[in-house]
Amino acid sequence: MRAHGELIEVPGAGATDHICWVYDQDDATFDRAVRRFLAGGLARGDRLLCIGERVLACLAVEDDDFAGADALLGSGALRTMTTRQAYEATGVFAAGTQLAYYRAATEAALADGFTGLRVVADVSPLAADPGVREELVRWEHVADSFAASGAGFTAMCAYSAELTAEALTEVASVHPLAHVSAEPTFRVFFDDDRVALSGSVDTFSADRLARVLESSPVSGDGAVLDLARVEFVDVAASRVIARWARDLDARSLPLEVQGASPVLRRMWRVLGLADVAGVRFAA
Amino acid sequence: MTTALEEPAPGFEHEALFYRGDEDFLDGLLPFVREGLALDEAVVVAEPRARLELLRDALGDDARAVEFLDMAEIGQNPARIIGAWDRMLRERTAAGRRLRGVGEPAFVGRREAEFTECRLHEQLLNTAFDGGPSWRLLCPYDEVHLPRAVVRGALHSHPFAGTTAGRRRSPEYSPEDLDGLFGAELPRPPDAVLRGVYGAADIPATRRTVAQYARTIGLPEEKVETLALAASELATNSIRYGGGSGAVSMWATPSAAIVQFSDSGQVGDPLTGRRMPSLEQEGGRGVYLVNALCDLVQLRSSERGTTIRLTTWR
Repeated sequence: MRAHGELIEVPGAGATDHICWVYDQDDATFDRAVRRFLAGGLARGDRLLCIGERVLACLAVEDDDFAGADALLGSGALRTMTTRQAYEATGVFAAGTQLAYYRAATEAALADGFTGLRVVADVSPLAADPGVREELVRWEHVADSFAASGAGFTAMCAYSAELTAEALTEVASVHPLAHVSAEPTFRVFFDDDRVALSGSVDTFSADRLARVLESSPVSGDGAVLDLARVEFVDVAASRVIARWARDLDARSLPLEVQGASPVLRRMWRVLGLADVAGVRFAA
Repeated sequence: MTTALEEPAPGFEHEALFYRGDEDFLDGLLPFVREGLALDEAVVVAEPRARLELLRDALGDDARAVEFLDMAEIGQNPARIIGAWDRMLRERTAAGRRLRGVGEPAFVGRREAEFTECRLHEQLLNTAFDGGPSWRLLCPYDEVHLPRAVVRGALHSHPFAGTTAGRRRSPEYSPEDLDGLFGAELPRPPDAVLRGVYGAADIPATRRTVAQYARTIGLPEEKVETLALAASELATNSIRYGGGSGAVSMWATPSAAIVQFSDSGQVGDPLTGRRMPSLEQEGGRGVYLVNALCDLVQLRSSERGTTIRLTTWR
């Protein structure tokens, strides 16, 4: 199982890292976290990509974790972009174009002899706009799938603490690991190619879960939803899962649900959700 | 009762049969079941296990054409029974068969609170099925062993009543009793009650509080999770439809754990939660689910507000 939950310190670098970090403006913890995340990538042999002014500011701090940014820039092991440059590089913001950009950049890093591409990006401006935020959440979910697939792409997504609590909850809940003051009530992340749900989803957060599931990349073999770490789902959340199954079914993609509690399965039967779409329940 | 084949009367025919002993029970039921079979109706018998076996044996080969259901199971919580009949009626009607049912919800050995709910259930059957497809439902009552009040209640809730000697329209049938039954106050809880109030932000906390209480008094984990789910659904209903807030009370008796939700809203339809909601219908699922999952559910509503009491037997 991929590590998930609340993050206090940047963990040792792994091949599928995708973490969310909420920072304050004068936040030395953030500087250290970024540098530690980058140092872990360097040790693995990754190419590093830093995006956004606040992230770039971290590079100037000198400490033990990460040093010699100038030399790395010169050798091509480190690349930097301001937020504006990143917008221009990736084009109109959409999950699909983002994935295409980062997939190409990861493949280029591999072709250049690096282990992969390790990105630290401040995405706050996108999260601030509620219209763009929906697409951002979709992209984060797609990015998590890409990171979990072991393609060589890893990322730390930085968000300003000045964003609304709602925005921070939304973005944190699509990362397996997040450093955020208010823990999201649920998380959706990828574990290999399974979609894993943890925490609690009720009537008041069910729509948010629906939007995330809708954007889940699903292979031709169908989808697997792992509910083993779910603390609680209510009727509304169960119906969201059933509707996702129905939408997958319309694309001839089966859904297997793993780790559902006995109560959830009884609820499924009582409400006739099996009639919405066939779901295979497995242990 | 006549055993001659009669042209079935149109509409829903809801009849109480008062019996005295096993022989009398069979004298009343065998002709009713066999008449249905002779008319090629779909005959479904919902009885507690012992009576069901008695009837099955007495029917001999005819039993093969009859569907038997354990009333103690499908009707443990009486608020589930209308949903069961409703489903069977829809299925049989769709298959071009007329339904003929036997249902003994108020069987001997039930607890007092269950008899109270059986009384409301029997009354609501008329509300649920009057005006719909034609079918017959015969409800046996054990006149010897049941409390007097239960037998008397059956005269009020059934338009037809009879014994093996014959049946007639019940002069005491009183559909207007429904408002009083549905709006009645439930018996007061004892002194030792844990109480809390909740608002829109408190649903997860309410769910956890109820789960914690259920664990503390030693309910098994599946019952704990069931009550947590019920708490979430019912507290959500208070927020959405019940004035935006509500109160939860919890107490225990030697035989049960009780969790009760109250708010200032009024449930207009006393059949709420008793029939399976359609797949696309937005609301109405919470109470239906709670009815299906909990041992006993008592819903009361009037201008004074709404109370739902969940009883979990220990």
